[in-house]
Parts: sequence; structure tokens; C-alpha cells
Amino acid sequence: MALLEYALIGGILYGIFFSLVGIGLNLIFGVMRIINLAHGQFIMLGGFGAYLLARGLGLNPLFGIPLAIAGGIVIGYPLYYGVVPRLQKSQDPEMLSFILFFGIAQMIEAVAVFAFGADQRSLPQDALGSGNIGVLGQEFPDSWWVACLVSVLAILGLYLYFSRTRLGFATRAIMADRDEARATGIDVDRVSAIALIIGIALAGIAGVFVPYLIGSVSSSIGDGLTTTSFAIIIIGSLGNPLGTVVGGLVFGIGTMLMQTYYSSWSNLAPYALLLAIVLVRPSGLLGKAVRRA
Amino acid sequence: MTLLSLQGVESGYGPMQVLWGIDLEVNRGETVILLGANSAGKTTLLRTIIGLLPCTKGSIALEGEPIASLPPDQRIRRGIAFMSELGVFPSLTIEENIRLGGYFLSSSEVRRRSARLYDLFPALAERKREPASSLSGGQRKMLGIAKVLVSEPKLLLMDEPSSGLAPVFVKQVVEVLRKAITGGMTLLIAEQNVAFLALADRGYLIDGGRVRLTGTRAELEASDAVHEAYFGL
Repeated sequence: MALLEYALIGGILYGIFFSLVGIGLNLIFGVMRIINLAHGQFIMLGGFGAYLLARGLGLNPLFGIPLAIAGGIVIGYPLYYGVVPRLQKSQDPEMLSFILFFGIAQMIEAVAVFAFGADQRSLPQDALGSGNIGVLGQEFPDSWWVACLVSVLAILGLYLYFSRTRLGFATRAIMADRDEARATGIDVDRVSAIALIIGIALAGIAGVFVPYLIGSVSSSIGDGLTTTSFAIIIIGSLGNPLGTVVGGLVFGIGTMLMQTYYSSWSNLAPYALLLAIVLVRPSGLLGKAVRRA
Repeated sequence: MTLLSLQGVESGYGPMQVLWGIDLEVNRGETVILLGANSAGKTTLLRTIIGLLPCTKGSIALEGEPIASLPPDQRIRRGIAFMSELGVFPSLTIEENIRLGGYFLSSSEVRRRSARLYDLFPALAERKREPASSLSGGQRKMLGIAKVLVSEPKLLLMDEPSSGLAPVFVKQVVEVLRKAITGGMTLLIAEQNVAFLALADRGYLIDGGRVRLTGTRAELEASDAVHEAYFGL
């Protein structure tokens, strides 16, 4: 019973963090219908940002959060206006974005290898707290709780953006019907550029905690994170950012249950689960009801 | 006074040209109807005027100012509104849809205008926190009309407002539009339902992406070409 409690509580913490990992990818797909294959590399950049702040400047890695937001603006704005409108004028924007962002991912990875080498880098273990926090007798490192808290705040912030602000309404309108949004007077490019900035910033924020939740950050970690993010958003609902939370929780709890009971199968389980869900509910667990919410 | 003027407008979808040299005028306070069979080019014409499709040749002017090179949001800021066949965002609430109709206005202005619209459409006011997808077809059309009226446009473009509606709802839509016309609204309506012809001052018969005939309502009603193309007689 204790093992089950450990797996479930750990799975929820892990799953909420992985919701943050995937949510930016889903937001970008939902708004622009482009597949950001460089998503994992943006997470990796967030991890290296925190690494530089902690190891290079002696600052707390949490300063990586404002750095990730600044990075989202610096990268997202020119990336949108330089690439996305042209992509959307093409015959097959999804396939073209797939190829183009694959190239961007490889470029980011090459630059990261050049700047940081191929070694795995870790952050000071006590930077986010040196103790453990227990729930129902099960203890988890402070860093996991901090990652979970920041993830909850980031997702809540995104929810409030969608449901309380005019830009959020406009973002959801674009997700529902891009042409109808243009015909309503929404500056679709400006709103989409903001969505891309938010998506990259959320990836960068998730990256700050990758060294704690996964163990380290390295220049080659991006592709694996992109794959995991895809699994999460497809489990939840592709194109529905808030559905990512469900996908993240399913992924987190599934992974922790397997790590607890059948650890050698734990890497396979989430993807087996993905296949099962896609076969039973191709639109994801939250697909039909809230896909466009 | 001419509000909207099109001269030699050509447009289409990528390499497929649909409109061929369209000349059209809408005067302030007029209701103009675009008649024509399916695929005649009526929707393409409205989408070109609002800027969803490029005007590849010719000119479009609003109050004498050229607008053909402006993006849709800039055209809407200048006083055009467009109600598509869909007309609303089903996944957004009624209130959110109406607020988006005044996207470029201040929040206080949108609130003030929304309050007036809720008086006009009390059924929407009662359910404003519900998603538009929960509304019936007729109610969705009313929401679509409320959404475009928030911006208090100089010119309202409407694409098939009767599409998918039962006759009883068509009657309601016509009545709402009649009120808007009485209030001085200028309308350009693409429609196949004969009920809307009664609203029009003038009209154009579009066929194969070209203007085949133009005239007053009485002239159109008497025209053999309209009877042939529009009423299927």
C-alpha cells in the first residue's frame, strides 16, 4: 500500500511538471497548426539557462524563470514573423513546419554542443531546498514540490489568460477558426506571435526544473523531451492546451507506477498507454468535448 | 453618397480565379443584395471585400479610400463588419463572442454596447455564460448578428444569413435586419432565400464570377434572368 501511495503521489507531482513540459507545444499547435519539433530544444535551453545562472553566476536557478520569459520574447517574436506567416501560405503548413522545425532543432542542438559540450550537467541539489516534504507518509525532495508549484502557477496563469483576458479570448478564437477570427477583426499575426512567445517561455520555464526531475541537462536531451511532450499532448488532446494537464497526469502516474512496480518497463509504458488511448479515443482523453476550448 | 465601391475586382483561391472584373457600388443607408446560384462567387466577393481573399486586380474603396491592400482587421477598424455563414465561435461563450465583436474597442465601450445588444436579444442575455455551441441554429444567427453589431459598422456584409435555418427563424432574422436598416445601417447581403429580397433597395445578379445584371428590387423581381438563376424557374 505504501508503494502504491508513493507511486501515486510521486506520479501526480511528476505529471503536473510534465504538463508544463508539454503545454507550450500544444498551445503552439493549437493556435498556429504548426508542429514545433524544436520544443525539446527550447526546454533544453531553459535548463542550460538555469545552469549558467547557478554555476556561472552563483544565483538561484529560479532566476531562470524570468530568463526563460525573456528568452521566449527574444526567440519567439522574430521566429514568428520570420517563419510562420510564410509557412501558413504554403500548401501543407503542418508538413512544412515539421521539416523546418526539425532543422531549427538540429541547429539549436549543434549550438548547444558548441557552447556547453556533450556532457550532462547538473544543478546544485540544495538550490531549491535541501530537505523532503512528506504527504501520507511519503517523502519527496523539495525540488519536486517547487517544480510542481511553479508548474501549477504557470498553468493557472495560462488558464486565466485564456478565460479572463481579451487576448486570451482572441487566442481561443484563432484556435477555433483562424479565418473567422480574421473576419472578426482580430490581428491574428500579433495574437499568434504572443502565443508562440508564451509557448517557448513555458518550455524554457519547464527546462529550469529538468535537471531536478530528470537528473541532468545535456545538449542531446531535446529530441527525447519533444517525443515525450507529443505523447502527453496526444494523450490529453492535441490542440487543446488545458487538456495537456490530463495527458501530463496520465503520463506521470503511469511512469511512476511502472518505475515502482516494473522499473525495467517504465520507459515503454507511457508510449504503450499512448497507443492504447489513440486507438480507443483518437482525439485524446479530452478530445471531443473541449478540444477547441 | 457611395460608401463602398468596387471596380474591376478579380479574386480567387490560389491559382483558381473566381471573380472576373466585378464592378459594384453600395450607397450609404442602402441595402444591396447579391443574388446567384451556389458557386456563383457571392461568398468569394464578400471575402475579398473584407480581406480574407486577395484582390488580385481592380480596386476596392470605402468612403473613397482604397482598402484593397489592408489586412482584415484594418478594414474592420475602418467600419466594415462581416458575418460569415458560421458567424460565431461555438467553443466560446455568448459573452466572449460578443466581446470579440468589438475587439478593437475599449472594454468599457464594449460593455456599454453589449448591454444595449442584450436588450435587443434578451434570449442571449439570459445565457451569456453558456458556450455558443449550446444555442439552436436560429439563436446562433442572432448571436452572429449581435457579434457584428457591437462594432456599430458603417457597412455590414452578410453571407447567407438564412443558411441552415427553419422558416420561422428566417423570419426572425429578417425582422432583426429590418430594425437595423431602419436605424440607418448599410447592408450588403449574399443570400438565396427570397425572403431577403424584400429587404433590398437594389441588387446584383452574380453568375460565373461576373455581374450579369444589376437593378432595383422591382427590376430584379421582374427580370427573367433572376427568375431563371435565382428562383430556378
